This record gives sequence, structure tokens and C-alpha cells, in this order.
Amino acid sequence: MNAVYKILGLPAELLCKVPGIGPIVKVCCTSVGQKILMALTGLSLCGFLVAHLGGNLNLFAGKDAFNGYAEKLHSLGPLLAVAEVGLFATFLLHIGLAVSTTAMSRAARKNEYEKKATKQSGFILPNGGASNLMLVTGLIVFAYLVVHILDMKLNVRGFPGASEIPGEGDKFEHVRAVLLDFKTAVFYAVCMLALGIHLSHGVRSACQSLGISHPRWNKLISIGGVLFAWLIAAGFTSIVVWPWAVVPH
Amino acid sequence: MVRVASETLNSRVPEGPVDEIWDKHRFNMKLVNPANKRKFTVIVVGTGLAGGAAAASLGELGYNVKAFCFQDSPRRAHSIAAQGGINAAKNYPNDGDSVWRLFYDTVKGGDYRAREANVYRLAQVSNNIIDQCTAQGVPFAREYGGTLSNRSFGGAQVSRTFYCRGQTGQQLLLGAYQAMMRQVHLGKVQMFARREMLELIKVDGVARGIVVRNLTTGKLETHTADAVVLCTGGYGNVYYLSTNAKGCNVTASWRCHKQGAFFANPCYTQIHPTCIPVSGDYQSKLTLMSESLRNDGRVWVPKDANDTRKPSDIPDEDRDYYLERRYPSFGNLVPRDVASRAAKERCDSGFGVSETGLAVYLDFRDAIKRDGEDTIRRKYGNLFHMYQKITAEDPYKVPMKIFPAVHYTMGGLWVDYHLMSNLPGLFVLGEANFSDHGANRLGASALMQGLSDGYFVIPYTIGDHLAKATLPKIPEDHPACVDAMQAAKLRIDQLMAVQGSRTVDSFHRELGLIMWDHCGMARTKSGLETAIGQIRDLREQFWQDVRVLGSGETLNQSLEKAGRVADFMEFGELMCVDALHREESCGGHFREEHQTAEGEAQRNDADFSYVAAWETHGVGEEPTLHKEPLSFPNVPPATRSYK
Amino acid sequence: MSNDTLNLTLRIWRQENATSTGAFRDYKLAGVSTHMSFLEMLDVLNEQLITSGEEPVEFDHDCREGICGMCSLMINGKAHGPDNATTTCQLHMRRFNDGDTIVIEPWRATAFPVVRDLVVDRSAFDRIIGAGGYVSVNTGNAPDGNAIPVPSTTQETAMDAAACIGCGACVAACKNASAMLFVSAKVSQLAVLPQGKAERNERVLNMVAQMDKEGFGHCTNTSECEAACPAEVSVSNIARLNREYVRASLMSGG
Repeated sequence: MNAVYKILGLPAELLCKVPGIGPIVKVCCTSVGQKILMALTGLSLCGFLVAHLGGNLNLFAGKDAFNGYAEKLHSLGPLLAVAEVGLFATFLLHIGLAVSTTAMSRAARKNEYEKKATKQSGFILPNGGASNLMLVTGLIVFAYLVVHILDMKLNVRGFPGASEIPGEGDKFEHVRAVLLDFKTAVFYAVCMLALGIHLSHGVRSACQSLGISHPRWNKLISIGGVLFAWLIAAGFTSIVVWPWAVVPH
Repeated sequence: MVRVASETLNSRVPEGPVDEIWDKHRFNMKLVNPANKRKFTVIVVGTGLAGGAAAASLGELGYNVKAFCFQDSPRRAHSIAAQGGINAAKNYPNDGDSVWRLFYDTVKGGDYRAREANVYRLAQVSNNIIDQCTAQGVPFAREYGGTLSNRSFGGAQVSRTFYCRGQTGQQLLLGAYQAMMRQVHLGKVQMFARREMLELIKVDGVARGIVVRNLTTGKLETHTADAVVLCTGGYGNVYYLSTNAKGCNVTASWRCHKQGAFFANPCYTQIHPTCIPVSGDYQSKLTLMSESLRNDGRVWVPKDANDTRKPSDIPDEDRDYYLERRYPSFGNLVPRDVASRAAKERCDSGFGVSETGLAVYLDFRDAIKRDGEDTIRRKYGNLFHMYQKITAEDPYKVPMKIFPAVHYTMGGLWVDYHLMSNLPGLFVLGEANFSDHGANRLGASALMQGLSDGYFVIPYTIGDHLAKATLPKIPEDHPACVDAMQAAKLRIDQLMAVQGSRTVDSFHRELGLIMWDHCGMARTKSGLETAIGQIRDLREQFWQDVRVLGSGETLNQSLEKAGRVADFMEFGELMCVDALHREESCGGHFREEHQTAEGEAQRNDADFSYVAAWETHGVGEEPTLHKEPLSFPNVPPATRSYK
Repeated sequence: MSNDTLNLTLRIWRQENATSTGAFRDYKLAGVSTHMSFLEMLDVLNEQLITSGEEPVEFDHDCREGICGMCSLMINGKAHGPDNATTTCQLHMRRFNDGDTIVIEPWRATAFPVVRDLVVDRSAFDRIIGAGGYVSVNTGNAPDGNAIPVPSTTQETAMDAAACIGCGACVAACKNASAMLFVSAKVSQLAVLPQGKAERNERVLNMVAQMDKEGFGHCTNTSECEAACPAEVSVSNIARLNREYVRASLMSGG
């Protein structure tokens, strides 16, 4: 296992030696640095979620609106490719950091307690309980991501409406077809629940990791984070529900 | 009946006006040049305010320091528990304070049994302490404008006490600890935690090292050095129940005493008036509530001894605010010894409250009415919280119940003006020495003395010793080291070998009770004589019947305790001998035979204006008394009156 | 106040030394007064054990008034027991019920190895302080205490952080055995005070580096440490540490 960490850590170690950015890379390797990166990547992904949700809400506006949006997106060409690579890298980094910090905390306590209880009052989801589910929900979201890309981008299951050639095919129909598959819809909905939980701790935690904290604003950050999480989750879930509830005209 | 040495002790106080001595003397003392400092090693035992400050300062100067403590971390020393504050003659409040007044108050507060020159030096450097600690990041309370804040404390009519909420000792100790850890990190101080000093190594009469037990592994270790600085605190735990931490002990001092260091004024013990009363026979320690509470709390008992009403139902006319009645000018702020004895007097007369009858009320009703609960909470919140934790009563609503408890010991190893004991090379700092508080210490002065000794005195005086003494290298197999090691080992083996039937704690409790009954707040000739007999018997029993399980080769807290109690058993006797010989009442020493018609302490300056320093000749042997005469040209002795 | 007594079952971790494997042992203890402190209850147990010829349970304690930070103990899965803002030595038996089983374990963290029974080695904390938890001011170098005014609100913030007693409950309670609350308390205290500002960058970088070296986990912002902290040190200090860290990583030279 140690050898694996060594190899995985090699790029970072090399980067540490680069003048100028070396020291910054070095601090990024510490426990605090990793959490800061975790927060930065997490918040960037939140930004992506907002944009993605915003785009997808075009579905409600009808076929033309959505396909128009898809068209516009694809017309960006190489820019989109860069964005996709960036997004992919952010995801990878976020996941990589999760693995690394988890390994660190596992090593920090090798013998578990016989009995462990919380001393927090009201230790429920929004109040920190979600923090215990970050890994699980993160993995679910990751599984979702894989399925989502396989269906929406690569269309391995051959849903109708997709096309290899940009500008052709009917994205709108394709999305409907995927979501009208019952099993997929249920899976998506569960994953969105996981996303909600993940974000309900994640956003607040990211603010804390970045040092965004002030007695006057902490309550707001806390509530805002939870609100944001469930708005995003609800937004995406509404899209999952949409083809079942609305017949296009 | 007491064997008295013919020659008086030389305190090495330089000649001259008291306010110039220290400045001149600093110039006259020899210096060690910077390049040579790194050739000297100094051992510091104990890491409280005195030890932590000394280790840090000596390390900064360039000496190699080895620091030792029995706790798991140097940050735990019991200085941490001091609550109220630290005095300094800054006169920031512009209320008439000065170095001279702090000096005067401390000599008077000590009931004219302290050495004037030491006290003056203490008052002089008090201001530097505040500056030093502030620079270290100690968060002293501040006014809204950002300047340092002061509060008043017992025994003084000016506000000169600096504080960090109710955790002043903690913050000052952490300041010293951090300064020391900085030196540890820099490699100038080597820290040895979980080590207990068991023997002093003396070569040609000079202190040159110590034997310690590694409390984790049980291994005995020899450490040699060019000087040994003892900062091991007081011996209040001889009473078993005291406000001291459980680990506080006399062992290090006592081991040095047995190597020839004189023990001075052991009978001077301070009984603190504001502690939480005892609740049962399982009680393991007593908790102090800071004296600062008496700034706003009023002490009273019911006028009628049979009054069974709830305290809140007792109207003012049926309350006896006995401190305000007896001492109208100082009121609730009389010094500790006076307040303690007054509480004892009321309880002895049957006016005590609570189920045991051993408590008086400390009432915040009027202060809360005057300033509001928020103000009181801000000032004393943590103390009230602590009180509520322990007693399950809310002091915002019901008056606190308090009773005196052993808190501080003014006596300690005898030291001269350089803070060096009669054994060359053995320095004693802080509560472990006897020097600055006379027969009674004023509140907020212990922190001041510990830090003064550690930061501002020892760095100068130790240089003088190191520069003058011839200090050949001592190898670890030097006969003196081997002997000390063997003595330490023998004692441990003896303790393990008894295999009797009684626990160490049961002996300790019994000893404590003897001490409290006969050598506590009030003492009599017959009581002390009885106590000496009882202690001897108990000591004999201890060595025949104590049970220590386990082995000496692991962490073994029973064994640690056994060693400490064994020393208390010998030390307690000396305390009683000292108390018996001092035929007067002064400060923390109150002999019932010597009191005025009104029950106030009656000093005897004609016969007892001296420091009693005892030399041992072995267990059970009569010790020799060495006297250091005291003179008070600057603060002429008067009857201490707080009326 | 009641004069009730309790009959308890104590399930205590016993471990001979650092290298041996430990195990739980059950002890029955009868007639425990509700006025006793938790440690006094253990004293009573130890007296009984010694009398019956069994080695007593070793546990760290010293001041017994909640300030020295030496006592520890995981009591029924909670660091320092069920009460907030309380150390084990200040916990009283009135918080328990007759017939209770109380599980007592040592702090568990790789950086706090067990020494014996319930005693652990917390010297990692000392080394973290040594790495930077101070203001570098030699004795005798200080300006007048009032030379630099410190607004009382700033001083209060510093004091809130400085209240840390170094007991390690934050590490014990954290699911990742992270020492962030401890480290951040010292970083915060010295970062907000003008006296500590000169070294703020180096301090936070060095202390965090030492913390990692000691093998503590990372902070997941669950705030469990805050709930366990007997000195009520706030997790806002962790945010401040993070802020200091970002600042230091971007600003400090080399």
C-alpha cells in the first residue's frame, strides 16, 4: 500500500521542486492544503452544477429551446473540449484528495473505540451528520457520473435520439428516452438525494476550509449551504420527474 | 529543647539602601561570557512558572538546560490552576501604587517574617514581568481603549492585579511553557517529561546532578550538570486534602534537605478562605474559588446558630457579615489568613452552615443587584460554572458555600539573596523556596514570585555561581552518582518489599488528618506534641504495612504515590517541630496560646524575628535550628491591622 | 441534593504497556455516592482493587479542577463524558444512574499511543507548540505592556482561543483523530494579537507541518471537537487557521 502512495505522490513530489510554484504545491500536500484544494475543487464543481442545471432547465421550455441550447454548447467546439477536460480533471482531483485524506485519517486512528457517541446536540444531517456520509455519497455521485456519461454522451445502451455527428439528432428526445427508462430514473433520483446530502455538508465545509467564517455570517453560510444543496438536488430531481409528468406538445 | 546552631545564616544580601541593592548587585555579580555559556549545563526540576521561566531564560542565554517534570507535559504544572491574577506596581490606574507600596504591602502582608531585600527586588521586577508576558502574547484583560486592566485583591488598597479572566495562572504558565518549548525546538533545552527526581547528586559539597525515575519505564536515570535549579512547588499535600494538584509533593525538596539543604519555616502554610467545602470521606482534593470573588461577594453566616431558613429567606438584619463587622476598613478583602481564621471562629462557635456546619456563605446577591448578572458573569463566569459543576447549585441564585482549605506553603528550602540554598550549586525558585512571602502570602503574589525568580533573578545569579565555582566534569560512574542511584533504587525496592495490607492513600489520608487537626489553621503546644507522636507511629506502620502492587519497571502510580507519602511522613514531623518551636502567632502560623483578647494573632518580634532553617540529622533525630535574623529598617514592624 | 448511591458496572480498558495488546475488563462497584467526582469513583475502585490484590487502573489526572488538561478518558463513547464544557475530573456521578454500565477507554489516536491502561502519551502536542506556538521574544526584550494597545474585543477573541487546556479531547472525539482544534487555538490566539503578528506566516506553516508529521488526521469540519472541548474552544479558530494558512502559503517567502 505504501508503495502505491509513493507512486501516486510522485507527481506532487516533482512539482514541489519546481521553483515559484514549488512552495505552493508543497503546502497543497499538507492536511490543511489538501482540504483547501478539496474545497476549491468542490466549489468549482458546484459552479458546474449550477451551470449544468441552468442549461438543463431548458428542457421545461420545450424541445426547441433545449436543442438550441445544446447546439450553442456544441458550437463552442474546442472551448467545450477544454472545459470538459478541466471538469474531468477537477473531478479527478476532488476524488483523489478524498482518497488521500481518507487514507490519512484511517492511519491516524488504527484502533477504533468500543463505543463512540457524539456530544453534539441535534447531530442531524444539516448539522454535521452529513459529514459522516461524504465518502458514501461521493461514491454514489461518482457512480452516477459514470452512468450519466455512458448514457448521455456515449449512449452505450442505444437510446433513441442521439447522434455521433454534431448538429444532428435530437438531444431533447434522447434525454427523454433515457429518463423514461424506469430503472434509470429511480437510480438518478437516488443519486440526486446523495448529491443533496453531499452538498449539504460540502458547501458549508468548503467555506470553513477556506476560512470563510465570521460569527455574524456563520449561520447564514450554514443555512445557505444547506439551501443551496437541496435546491440543486431538487432542481435535478425535477428534471428526472419531468418526462413522467409532462407530455410534450 | 531545640538544638540551635551557634552561627547565624548568611543571606548574602549586599549592603546599601534597599532600593539600590539589586541594581548595584547586578553589576557586581560575575558574568559568564557568551561563548562560555554553552559549556555549562543546568538542570531545572519542575516546569511551573518558576521552572518554565528559568528553563526558557537560561536556554535563551545560551546555557544547555535539562528540564524535568513528573507530568506528561510541562504545560500541566500546578501554576496553571492559579486563577485570580498577578500583582505589579505599574500604577496604571493612577491610584497611588508604586514599587515601594507593593514592597511595603508584601512585607506587611507577610507579617514581618520575610527578607526585605528579596521582597523589594520582587516588587521592582514585577513590572518587567507584565511587559514580558504581554510580549509573549498572554491575553491580559484590557480596557475598551486597549490598555491593560487591573482589579483589586485581598491585602491591598490599590488595584494592581493583572488578570486573564479566571485563568491567569494558565495563561502565564503557557507563556513560559511556550518560551521553553521554543528553546526545546532550538535544541537549547532538553525536556524530560514523566520523570520524578529522587535524589540529589552532590560532589564535594556542590550540587552536581540528580537521579530521576522515568515514570513510564521505571528506569532510574542519572543526569549531571553544573548547577541544579529546583522549582518543585509547595508541600500543601502533606494535608492530603488541599487545593494542590494530586501530584504536588515535597520529594524533590526533601531529598535535597536530606542531602544537607536547610528547610526554612515549614510551619508557614496558607489556608485559603474561599474553597468549596468537603462533601464526603471519598474527597480527593479541594477546589479553590479565586479570592477575587471577595471583591463582589459578601461573606456571612446567620446571626442565629439555629436558623434553618434557606439563605435567600434570611433578611439582612438576621445576617452576620462578620468580616465587615470585625474589619470595617478592609471588609471582605482582608488577607487570607485573617479571613480563614474568622471563618473558622464562626464555625467553631456553631454558626457554620451546610450539613457539616463547616461552611460560610459567600453571597453575590447585592453585586448582582448592583451590576447586573451579565457583569458578574463576565468577571467570574468560569468560577461560577466550576462551582455549579461540583456542587450542583447555582451561585447566581443561591449564595456559595465556602470553607478554608490548605492552599500555599510559604516555607521551603532556605535560600540566600541569590536564591541559592546552603548547598552551593543548588538553587531553589518559586514556591519551593521560602524567601519572599514571610509568614503569609498576599493574593496574586505567587505568580509574581515564580516568574520573577525564573525570568529575572536566576539568569543573573546563576552566572555568578558558574563563573566563580570550579566545576570539574562529572562522569556518570562517579562514586557520588553511583551512591545516589543506589539510594534511589534501595528506596523503591524497600517500598515494593513491604507488601502489607493498606493502600498508600489510606496512609496519606490519615497523615493529612493529623496535620489538619494539629498543625492546621490553629495550633497548640499539646496538639503539636501529640501530632509528632502520631506521625512517628504512623510512619512506622507505613513501612510495615503499606501495599504497593505491580512492579517498579512500568508505569506504577501507586509506587509514585508511595514514595511521595513516605517523604511527607518525615516532612510532617518537621512541620510540627517548627510550629512547636515558634511560640508566637504570625501570618499562616496561629498558636492559640498567642492571641489577643479579641482573638487576633499576637506576634513576638523580640524572640522570633528570624527565619527558622532546619538541618536534618536523619529520620527521627532531632534537627538543628539555624537562624537567619530578620531586620526591617524600611518597613518597621507594626501590629498588622486590617480594621 | 440527594444522598443516593449507585451500583455500577465499569468496563475498563486494561493494557500492560505500549506494546502489549489490551482488553476490556468488567468491574462491579457498589455504593458510589452521587456527590463523587468521576475520578474519585475510580479512586474508590482502585482502593478496592489494591485491597483485593489486583493492580489498580492507571489513569492520568493532576489538578482535578479542570484546568491542567491531564485527565482524559473516553466515557461511554464521549470524550470527558456526557457533559459539554467539562473535564473528566469535574464530571460528577450524579450524571449517572443506578445499574449503569460505563465503558471507559483511553484516547485512541496513532499520535497518542497508549502508555498503560488509560494513560496515553500526548507529547505530540508539545512538539507542535515547539514548532511555532509562541512569540519569539527573549526574556528582557519586552516593551511596556501598554506600548501596543489591544482592543478588548481582540483580547477577548485571543483569550477564547487561549483557553485551550491541551487535553486532547478534540483529537479523541474527532473521527479522523485530527488535532486541528488544538493547533488552531494556538494559531488563532497569536494571530489576532499584535504581538504575534510578526511570525504569523511561519507559525501556521510550521505548526501544521509538525501536526502532519505526528500523524494526526485531517479536519472534516464535523465540529465534534468543539462539542467535546472542555474549554469550549470554537471551530471558528479552525477557519482562522485555514485563512492564515492560505495567506501564509501565498505570501511567505521561499
